[in-house]
Amino acid sequence: MTQLLLDIAPPWVPTLENFVIGRNLELHTAIRHGVASQGSARSVYLWGETGAGKSHLLQAAVERARVHGQTAVYACGAVPDEAQVVAVDAVQELADEAQVALFALYNRLQERGAMLLVAGNAAPAQMQLRDDLRTRLAWGLVYQVHALNDEEKSQALLQHALARGFELPADVTQYLLRHGRRDLPYLLGVLEALDAHCLRMKKRAATVPLLKEVMRLE
Amino acid sequence: MHDQEFWEICLEHFQKLLPSQQFNSWIKPLGYSLIDAKIIISIPNSFTYKIFQERFLPVVIDLSRKYRNKEPEVLLRIDKKFNVTTHLDKLENIRTVSVKKETTFLHSSHLNSNLIFDNFVTGKANQLAHAAAIQVAESPGHIYNPLFIYGGVGLGKTHLLQAIGNAYKTVTADAKICYIHATNYVSDVVKAFQTKKFDEFKNYYNSLDLLLIDDIQFIADKPGTQQEFFYTLNALIDANKQIVITCDTFPKEISGIEARLTSRFSCGLTVAIEPPSLEMRVAILLRKSSGSLNPISEEVAFFIAKHVRSNIRELEGALNRIEAYSKFHKRNINVELAKEALKDLLASQNKQVSIENIQKTVSDYYRIKLIDLLSKKRNRAYARPRQIAMCLARELTHLSLPEIGNAFGGRDHSTVLHACKTIELLRNTDSTINMDFNLLNQTLRG
Repeated sequence: MTQLLLDIAPPWVPTLENFVIGRNLELHTAIRHGVASQGSARSVYLWGETGAGKSHLLQAAVERARVHGQTAVYACGAVPDEAQVVAVDAVQELADEAQVALFALYNRLQERGAMLLVAGNAAPAQMQLRDDLRTRLAWGLVYQVHALNDEEKSQALLQHALARGFELPADVTQYLLRHGRRDLPYLLGVLEALDAHCLRMKKRAATVPLLKEVMRLE
Repeated sequence: MHDQEFWEICLEHFQKLLPSQQFNSWIKPLGYSLIDAKIIISIPNSFTYKIFQERFLPVVIDLSRKYRNKEPEVLLRIDKKFNVTTHLDKLENIRTVSVKKETTFLHSSHLNSNLIFDNFVTGKANQLAHAAAIQVAESPGHIYNPLFIYGGVGLGKTHLLQAIGNAYKTVTADAKICYIHATNYVSDVVKAFQTKKFDEFKNYYNSLDLLLIDDIQFIADKPGTQQEFFYTLNALIDANKQIVITCDTFPKEISGIEARLTSRFSCGLTVAIEPPSLEMRVAILLRKSSGSLNPISEEVAFFIAKHVRSNIRELEGALNRIEAYSKFHKRNINVELAKEALKDLLASQNKQVSIENIQKTVSDYYRIKLIDLLSKKRNRAYARPRQIAMCLARELTHLSLPEIGNAFGGRDHSTVLHACKTIELLRNTDSTINMDFNLLNQTLRG
């Protein structure tokens, strides 16, 4: 008999602390300092492949700013209202009008000494955006978010499993990294499904056979 | 919640949040009272008022939402004796400013004191604009009115505009100066429409001594705004007050703006800013870095300038990145470090511009068929774009002249040479060709 699950898993919040840094130490530090130094105008543009951690960093920056008592807002593929820290994710999805809005927001935030973080899927010069917006994004600090290597990914998975309170033996991680798609959003998705599956099967620790079952279901 | 209890929570919050020096100067002197469910904050002076409104008011509002569970109405008052307002003061007698969005056109000048003539690097690309700007700042309203500065993105138009304002302000401290971005001007017009405060709007703009309006192309396709701007423009010019306008293209080329406006734009002086040459880019980097603790050497400046070519913003962005990298790794800046810091950026840029890409971009730009661009047709509608494309190919690719000639329908290398010479000559005499060339160049370089 399978165990029915109550959907009461603690919501996982992306923070600067639970970001597996990998080769992004400088960027991580820049965001930490950027959020802490209130009052001066700051602009950070992040780019990198899907699953590299751009959205995590943006949401983490907003979360950190709120802890510091600042007003902060995150929006994906849209332009939010003004705040002391504003994060705009997936800038490549902005339509013409939204690009003008982001351009105006950039100017206002610069004037008021606020922080703007923007993430996109390519370096500023390669973005298909309005010239005036594109060059402004390239004006501040520009960082590539480097995706994690396999070792770092297994560390990220382990950390995530720990946060959810279940054991993840090394052979399971290894199997997952060898046989699954290797971008972090997919891996974390499998991990969550695995966690639920283990609970349903009343197993304490994840095993390779359980993982295989989950991956077959996926 | 007791009247003072909420304020104590705020004080406690700020005390944790701010260094004690800042807490003592910004928060401690404030007075607080609660009248008719309205929060009244007394502030000792207008400077603190501004700081409080920008930095701390959002926090107070957030805290009020959290602890008082309601949308707060906060009134700020400047009170030199900073008495705490008591219930005895009737609310209506208090001269307050509501923090709810007020419609007012009384902007501050919006001048950024860092953007001045002294730190504007000049070269062949911008010396005319620079000279005109200085003259206008010295005797506003009398020489060139309006002064119309145009050029591509990130070439320093805003810097010049701000420099004029700052220079005028140092000579005439009480002058009414307004720097405004055209998008904000549009929203001012909209606000005036919505709140029926057109008189206030007009009075404000017509009373200016110097109006600096940035990126005027943003009023395109907005007839209401254009009409208002036309009146403002006339009123200011008639009163010998200076207007300086920037735009991404020259007046006749702006689309979506009424002809009566564009002809007004060009009745003063129209000057261009062009993309900076290598030497000028180096000079800009050296000037920008000279103020930092760890200024870069000429060698590093050349390295950056060679790799970042399209505009000054990206140039400065690259310098920012190198400075951040050097600070983070606690290493001195040299070419090696610059290479490491810009590694990601350069790798993404290394996508060489191909001759096919140039041909396609140019034919798209002139709306001619690619096949015509490569054909033997000699009529000017095809020949000119072809010459521009050849000239761009020589500048942007490493191909030899015979290779370029070959790629353009098997032409001789001397034809390519002739094309390049013709375009170089035309660029000095024909502003349209020059602008087309710069635009295509910038587009291809990305």
